[in-house]
Amino acid sequence: MVGFDQVTKRYGDVRAVDGLTLDLHPGQTVALLGPNGAGKSTTLDLLLGLRRPDTGTVRVLGTEPREAIVAGRVGAMLQSGGLMDEVTVAELVRLACALHPRAHPAAEVLARAGLTKIADRRVDKLSGGQAQRVRFALATAGDSDLIVLDEPTTGMDVTARQAFWATMREQADQGRTVLFATHYLEEADAIADRVLVLHRGRLLADGTAAEIKARAGARRISFDLDGGPDGTVDEASLRALPHLTSLTLSDGGSAAGSRRTVRIQSADADATVHALYGLGLHPRNLEVAGLGLEQAFVALTAAEEARQP
Amino acid sequence: MNSLIRLELTRALRNRKFLFFSVIYPSALFLLIAGSADGTSEVDGTGLTLPTFFMVSMASFGALTAVLMGNSERIAKERENGWVRQLRLTTLPGRGYVLAKTASAAVVSLPSVVVVFVVAATVKDVRLHAWQWLALTGAIWAGSLVFAALGVAIGYLATGDAVRPITMIVYFGLSMLGGLWMPTTTFPRWLRDIAEWLPTHAYAALGQSIEQSHAPHAQDLAVLAVSFVLFAGGAAWLYRKDTLKA
Repeated sequence: MVGFDQVTKRYGDVRAVDGLTLDLHPGQTVALLGPNGAGKSTTLDLLLGLRRPDTGTVRVLGTEPREAIVAGRVGAMLQSGGLMDEVTVAELVRLACALHPRAHPAAEVLARAGLTKIADRRVDKLSGGQAQRVRFALATAGDSDLIVLDEPTTGMDVTARQAFWATMREQADQGRTVLFATHYLEEADAIADRVLVLHRGRLLADGTAAEIKARAGARRISFDLDGGPDGTVDEASLRALPHLTSLTLSDGGSAAGSRRTVRIQSADADATVHALYGLGLHPRNLEVAGLGLEQAFVALTAAEEARQP
Repeated sequence: MNSLIRLELTRALRNRKFLFFSVIYPSALFLLIAGSADGTSEVDGTGLTLPTFFMVSMASFGALTAVLMGNSERIAKERENGWVRQLRLTTLPGRGYVLAKTASAAVVSLPSVVVVFVVAATVKDVRLHAWQWLALTGAIWAGSLVFAALGVAIGYLATGDAVRPITMIVYFGLSMLGGLWMPTTTFPRWLRDIAEWLPTHAYAALGQSIEQSHAPHAQDLAVLAVSFVLFAGGAAWLYRKDTLKA
């Protein structure tokens, strides 16, 4: 479907994409995550043939990216993609349909993007969210095998965002491959079959949202602990707990005297809690909660930052 | 591709300011300059009456306006706002954008030429043979491609902020020094030597030679051909550079 093989792209001294290798499979919905400057936009540019890699190869649907686009097999919506002004929404969508070899009827494209009511409005008079929907209409004007979306819901309100993803899920259900870059991690968590985490142009993690969370220390355990007779808690033995990825100790509040609150992130909460009781401690108010993808993402990228400053 | 040309045209025809400057303005200017002339006084060294001489100047000026003004600014702005990028994500071949711009400019430039002719013939009684009218229309229209290429080159060279002043300087410079507003015979000698090598001068001279039933001067044809190669080559080079950095 999409293949990156050892792809590197430099801008001056900065390696925006650094030896990136990845494969996308048909029918997947894939989220591309990464902090600002991680190389997401460059990766999408390379995938769409807007830029050429310095080294390595990019293949899309078995051919060069540009060829796949000219064949109408890729629909794309870029953050940096502008619109023609001084024309109406309907005129622009009709143009996109006319350019696509397997176009859908323009009225259908307008309806799906929620643009029917503003079809006669001029493109330069639209709000940010409306313009974003026009970009989406341009990306879905025809029957493409791969849909690429860069920050698709930026500027949309909550309702529009939900409607957008409902439409996107329909596209995926029809067997299309959808790749999207996003800042909203809850979107990736809720929608993607597969999550790619980019960091400094490299692939830091690749798996389902659940796998990524597990890798980052997916469970958060918190409990209160009474100190020993001298009012201290044996921190060293807590740190030695199995599968522990982070630990913080704090005061449990003024009323509690020497009681401390312990917060742990663990890759295997069951084993950690079991070992906790094995220490002979008496934790109170024990809570085990799943980590959101957002925290997982922060944990993963922070760990990577610490590893190679 | 045709759909893009159609949409570019729709948009150009919708833009009143652009239509005024490319279609009405040259005719108005013609009436202003030729209006007081009696129709028999000749422009020095040409054997042409003032209205006949200025009809070609203003038709050339109108075509120049139509192909140069709109495109350079649009291309620079659309490169900046990302529409050019967006189009590269469609099946449109890479050249399609520039070709559509040039084609739609060519369509708009035709009325600006014809309107000047009609005004000159009806108001100032300019009379020519049928073949001359046809040849004039063809020559001025075809010659405008030279400046369409220049417009594209400026659009790819300039940023969105700088494009308007740059276009204006080039546009007024070429029009004035090339003798579209006044015959270069009124210029001092040294300025005339410069003007003779400008593509706008060669462009108007081409039309005037048709009015005089002369073969065009080899120098004028050469200046136009070299200008076209330079402008089109420059536009192609800048276009490719722009495409690579996306």
